Amino acid sequence: MAEMIKLYDDAKCTACRGCQLACKQWNEKKAKQTTNYGSYQNPPTLQSNTYMIIHFQDVKDTKGNVKWIFRKESCMHCADAACVTACPTGALYHTEFGTVGLNPDRCIGCKNCVAACPFEVPKYEQETDRVYKCDMCESRLRNNLTPACVKACPTGALKWGEKDAMIKVAADRVKELGGDANTYGDQYVSGTHFMYVLQEKQPVYAALAQNPKVPLAVVAWKNLLNPLSLLAAGGIVVGSFLHYLIHGPKLPDETGETTKKAEGGE
Amino acid sequence: MMEVKEGMIKATDAFERLVHWTLAISCIILFITGLGMMFHSLNFIGDFMGGLKSLKYVHNIMGLIFGFSMIFTISMWWKEAGVFDLPADWQWIKVAGGYLWHVDKVPEIGKYNPGQKMFFLAVAGCGILMLATGLLMMFQPEFLPMWILRWMYPLHALGFFTLFAFFFVHIYLGTIGNPGSFQAMVHGWVSPGWAKKQHPKWLKEMEEHGTLKIYGGEKKKDTPSH
Ligand code: HEM
Repeated sequence: MAEMIKLYDDAKCTACRGCQLACKQWNEKKAKQTTNYGSYQNPPTLQSNTYMIIHFQDVKDTKGNVKWIFRKESCMHCADAACVTACPTGALYHTEFGTVGLNPDRCIGCKNCVAACPFEVPKYEQETDRVYKCDMCESRLRNNLTPACVKACPTGALKWGEKDAMIKVAADRVKELGGDANTYGDQYVSGTHFMYVLQEKQPVYAALAQNPKVPLAVVAWKNLLNPLSLLAAGGIVVGSFLHYLIHGPKLPDETGETTKKAEGGE
Repeated sequence: MMEVKEGMIKATDAFERLVHWTLAISCIILFITGLGMMFHSLNFIGDFMGGLKSLKYVHNIMGLIFGFSMIFTISMWWKEAGVFDLPADWQWIKVAGGYLWHVDKVPEIGKYNPGQKMFFLAVAGCGILMLATGLLMMFQPEFLPMWILRWMYPLHALGFFTLFAFFFVHIYLGTIGNPGSFQAMVHGWVSPGWAKKQHPKWLKEMEEHGTLKIYGGEKKKDTPSH
């Protein structure tokens, strides 16, 4: 299978939330009771049992007109995924589709990925002591089906296709929309496999990670300090061995009057 | 080699040895379980404890034991191993205690030499760091901004880097690098020749203060030590 991309086009989205429901249904996740806080955005953020939400947001344009904009938030499926780097057990992994899969059976609930993800996507669930996130419906992909959210979308705001084709579709849509329209995802973390065509400039969108990168802390921890700690310890072991051979151990003082025989170095 | 003979000198009491080995064993288990989570190629370490999830629990529980023994380690050794005795210690550092090149006369030092003090301080400092960062990584409290939480991970890794490297130096110097040392942490008695070579000032001080305890009876004076 080729590398794939799921494309979200917010200009075509009506926020019907069919995708959100389809996601719940396919993944067999119950909804939790929430409270009305004055927005259709419900639940307000991703949860351990809610892998995607539609953001609802009022924005004022330069003429003072109020406009409603939407955004589908879920795992971005990074090519350089900090969660995969941080995961100690391989529960998070890259697939041949370019998506980031999650095997809950291997998850130990350490929450490394929760802290590592630049999009703050993985969510921890106390009851199962595990982390959950969108896996792009890997079970469907393996059976030549599209992700459930794409399947449910009635307006064509969600598309699923091969990477190159989707990037081209996105570029064409940006041209078509004109103005501030732009793409989001392809330019970050070595390319995401969930990407956006946005009508507005990126900073306009609430809670959208601006210029996301694999956090420096993750690089310092996983790519630098972890291997260095083995290297340093190895150096010490070799150094100690050489010290023993070349300099020799520090033997007890045998000239002391009460001293018995010195215990020699083995 | 390990038996206690007449004329040997008391170096550590039972409490010190108990604390040392609680600290050491919990620390070594933390190393092993930590390594099991550090590299996928070492994930098999989890197989010995019923899977990686159990390995996580072992790591977390050992962290608590390590932290608990850290309290006693620091409180009982701070005076002897936590403060440098200047300028004598500085003289010793300048010749690296005679460990690296030939030195005719190594400056006399007390119960712990500056190298041991550095190790103690590294263990105390990194120990507290490991405990603090580990707890924050485990509980990820809401009030902690994400960018700060993220840095707990490399700090935890830095603590491991330091402790793991020092650990091998410590094992080497505590065993074959300094024959006669290991028993100080087994039964607590060392030979007079060892004491004279390793910690002459400590020996002299005990003689002066009458706190020297010699195996086989005649304690110089029966004043309680410490
Ligand atoms: C198998 C492993 C170990 C062995 C054989 C060992 C052996 C020893 C010995 C012989 C001493 C006494 C040295 C002397 O009085 O001159 C000592 C002291 C000490 N040990 Fe260990 N140890 C081990 C592991 C550890 C570990 C893992 C830690 C800490 C994380 C530790 C922390 C200390 C500290 C703080 C002291 C106090 C004196 C100093 O700073 O050297 N030890 N150890």
